Amino acid sequence: MTPTRVECRGLTVKYGDLVAVDSIDLEVAAGEVFGLLGPNGAGKTSVIRALTTIIEPAAGTANVAGAALSDQRVIRQRIGVLPESSGYPSAQTGLSYLRFYGELFGLSRAEASDRAAELLDQLGLGHTQQRISHYSRGMRQRLGLCRAMINRPDVLFLDEPTLGLDPAGKEEVVRHLADIAVHDGTTVVLCTHLLDEVERACDRVAIMAAGKLLTTGTVDDVIDASDVPRSSRLRVHSDDIAAAHDVLGRLDCVDGIRFDNARPGDLDLQLAPHAVPPASARVLAAIIDAGIEIRAFETDRASLNDAFLALTAPGAPT
Amino acid sequence: MTSTTAHHTRPGWSIVARQELSELWGSTRGSGVLLGFSVLLAALSYLVSADAGINLLDARESVGVIVQTAIALGALTALVISSDAISGERERGTLESLLVTPLHRRDLVIGKLIAATSMWVAAIVVSLPFVAVLARGPGVAFDAVIVLVVAGSLVAAALTAFGLAISSLAMSNRVSLASAISIMLLLAAPSRLPGVTANGVLGSILIKLNPVSAGLKLANDVLVGQQGWSNHWTLLISPAVAAVLSTVVAIQLSRRIELGDSR
Repeated sequence: MTPTRVECRGLTVKYGDLVAVDSIDLEVAAGEVFGLLGPNGAGKTSVIRALTTIIEPAAGTANVAGAALSDQRVIRQRIGVLPESSGYPSAQTGLSYLRFYGELFGLSRAEASDRAAELLDQLGLGHTQQRISHYSRGMRQRLGLCRAMINRPDVLFLDEPTLGLDPAGKEEVVRHLADIAVHDGTTVVLCTHLLDEVERACDRVAIMAAGKLLTTGTVDDVIDASDVPRSSRLRVHSDDIAAAHDVLGRLDCVDGIRFDNARPGDLDLQLAPHAVPPASARVLAAIIDAGIEIRAFETDRASLNDAFLALTAPGAPT
Repeated sequence: MTSTTAHHTRPGWSIVARQELSELWGSTRGSGVLLGFSVLLAALSYLVSADAGINLLDARESVGVIVQTAIALGALTALVISSDAISGERERGTLESLLVTPLHRRDLVIGKLIAATSMWVAAIVVSLPFVAVLARGPGVAFDAVIVLVVAGSLVAAALTAFGLAISSLAMSNRVSLASAISIMLLLAAPSRLPGVTANGVLGSILIKLNPVSAGLKLANDVLVGQQGWSNHWTLLISPAVAAVLSTVVAIQLSRRIELGDSR
C-alpha cells in the first residue's frame, strides 16, 4: 500500500473572523502529483501555508512527510516549497543563491554547490554566472523550482510553478514534475490556474471554493462529479436527419439537439452525464432500432475546465 | 523518504551572516551607504581642519567633532541597514522561502544582526584615517579610537538590534525605516540640549539614560573636555544596557516574524 505523505483532517485557517479554509480533509500519497484548484480567494494558498508550517491552523490536524504539524523543523527539513509570489535577491548568481539554501538544509558548501549545479542543469539554467537581476521571469521561476528541490524533498508544494514560462518551458516543468514523482517518489502538491497542465500532470485533484473543499478525486471523478453534459456528434445521411432528430428527441438522456447548418447530416447532442445505461449507448441503440444508418458518432469528454467552471460558478451546489 | 537529513556543518546564523555579508558588500547597497558616510566625514573633516588652521578649533575639538559625527552617522547607517533586514525580505517576497527552511528564526535574526553590524565596523575603519590626520598626535588619536571602538560600538549595537526588532514587526519597509529613524532622532535630541539644561540634574539624568546622548557626551567629555575615562565611565552604562536589551528583544521577537500578507 502506498504510504500517505500529506494528510489533514478538519484543517481550518482563520484570519481574524475570516474563515479562509473551512475544515477540509485531504490525503495525498507518496509519488502522487496532486492538483489543488480553485478560483482566486478559494483558500489554496492558505492550505499550502498551513501545511508548510508558515501559518498555524485554527483547528484540525495534519501530518506532512511523516511528521505532525507541531514538528515544524522536521516538516521543513523534508519539504520543498515554491510560493506564489516568490522574490529573489537580484545581486546574487543562481548558483550562490541555491548554494545558500542547500547549506540551510544541512548540506556542506561543496555538496550544496554540486546539488545547485545539478539542478541548474536539469532545469535548463546551466552553470550561468549571471546575476539573478539579469534573469527573465521564466528563468526566475525555474530557479525557484530548483530552490524548492535543493533538499530532495519528500513533498514538494508548488504554487503556480509555471507562471511566466513560455509553452515549451511549461511543458518541460510539467514533465520534470511527473519525472520526480515517478522516479524519486516525491509527492507533488500543485496549485495552478492552468487546468490543461493539471489534466496532463496530476494523478488526482481537489477543487476548492470559498474555503471549502468541493470535490476530490481523479480528473475523471471530478468531471463526473460536476454534472457537466457530454457533447456528442452524430452523423447520418442527410435524408435521415429529421427521423434521427425525432428518435433522439424522445430520449430523456439527451438534454439538447442542434442541427449543424454547415454539415446537413450532423447533429450536435448534449448528453446527460450520469444516465444508466450510458446516454451514448442509448443514443446508438435508438438510432439502430429506428433503422437509420450511422455514418459517424463521436463523444467528447467534458474537460476539467468545464467541470471547474461548473463547480465553482456562483450558486453552484456545494 | 528522499529528503536531505539535517547535519548542519555550520550553525544557521553563520550561513545567514555570510550570505548577508556577501549581499551587502557585493552589491552597491553597502558600498553606496559607506561612500555617502565617507563623503560626509571628509567634508566635515575639511571644514574642521580649515577652522583649526585659523585656530578656531584645536586638534582635540576637531577630533571630537569627527568622532561624534562618526558615532551618530555610523550608528544611523547600521540602523538603516538593520531596519530593512526582515521587512525588506517581507516586501521583496523572499521571506516565505526562508521561513520554510529548517533555519531557526533566531538564527535568521542573529545572522542579519552580524551583517548589519559590519556596517558599523566599516564606519570605524573609514573614520580612522580622518582621526589620524586631525589628531596630530598619538594621545588624542588613541583616546579617539577607544571612544569610537567602545562607546561607538555599544551605541551602534543598540541601534542595530533595535532596527532589527522593528523590522521583524513592521509589515512594510517604509514603516520600519521611518520608525527607526524617528526614534534615532528622538534619542539624539538630548545631546543638542542647551548647556544650562544639559548641565542641570534632569538634563544630566536624561543624557545618561539615553544611550545615544550618553555615548556622544562621553566622546565630548573625553576628547574635547579632556576629563579622562575614570570620571565618565558611567556614561557607558546606558549604551551597554541598551545594546544587551535590544539584542535580547530582537532575538525574542524573531518568534513573531510573520509573512504579513495573510489571505
